[in-house]
Amino acid sequence: MMIDPALWPKLHGASVHFPIALAMAAALFDGLGLIWPWSSPRREQFHVAGYFTIILGALGTFPAVLSGLFMTKGEVLGHEALLFHHLFVWPAFAGLVGLGVWRALVGDKASSRGFGVYLFVLFLVAGLMAGAGYWGGELILNS
Amino acid sequence: MKFSSEQNALVWALMASVISLGGALLAARPIQMIANLSSPPAETSSADAQAEIVTSPELAAQGQEFFAMSCSECHGDDAHGDEGPDLHNLAISNARIAKTIKGGIKGEMPKFAKKYGDKEIAALVSYLRTLR
Repeated sequence: MMIDPALWPKLHGASVHFPIALAMAAALFDGLGLIWPWSSPRREQFHVAGYFTIILGALGTFPAVLSGLFMTKGEVLGHEALLFHHLFVWPAFAGLVGLGVWRALVGDKASSRGFGVYLFVLFLVAGLMAGAGYWGGELILNS
Repeated sequence: MKFSSEQNALVWALMASVISLGGALLAARPIQMIANLSSPPAETSSADAQAEIVTSPELAAQGQEFFAMSCSECHGDDAHGDEGPDLHNLAISNARIAKTIKGGIKGEMPKFAKKYGDKEIAALVSYLRTLR
């Protein structure tokens, strides 16, 4: 069986931007929801947007990770830029899936303390996703 | 003891992240095997054949030192492979080996073009040719 060698890079490129963008969007929406005035209906709307973006982002990590594993023939660390890419990818992947599951199960019933921890981890994961994207770009530019 | 829905969700989130991460890392090995099965065999182009590298036993001794400095970390001290593949009985041309050392392999092996010149690369190729 011969697979087009460019298939996995193409699929990785096509799938990887969704979880990156959605993780950042979720952090933005929930961050805005937190600082928006209580009296405004916009606050609730931001949290609803944050709810769906984090769940979609978590689901989006699976095609991105699997296509990446196929592209690198199962390399989970690697060298140089790929190593740095993976050092951001793996904690971001675990974090994003964890956050997505937590948010899906808790919904809008989270305590303010629980939601504060969630938001802190979400900003951390969004930063890790940005780092993974940066080193992914370095891999393409320097190859 | 009764857990709140938030505590239950935290446990599920942790379990899901561990299972996902573990699943992805466990999938790496079968993926590696499938990818190797579907990879085309290495080919020697006519350009490679024209630019054949000259090897010698003297160069091989020098190449062994370069190998210990730059390659053994991944390919193993005896070049039988570790993180990188076994380098014994390579079935590709000298020029192809030199090209791979210089340019690396995207996502798998770093480039050594800046670190080693043509003479040093020829020494490394000479050493690799002694690995039978």
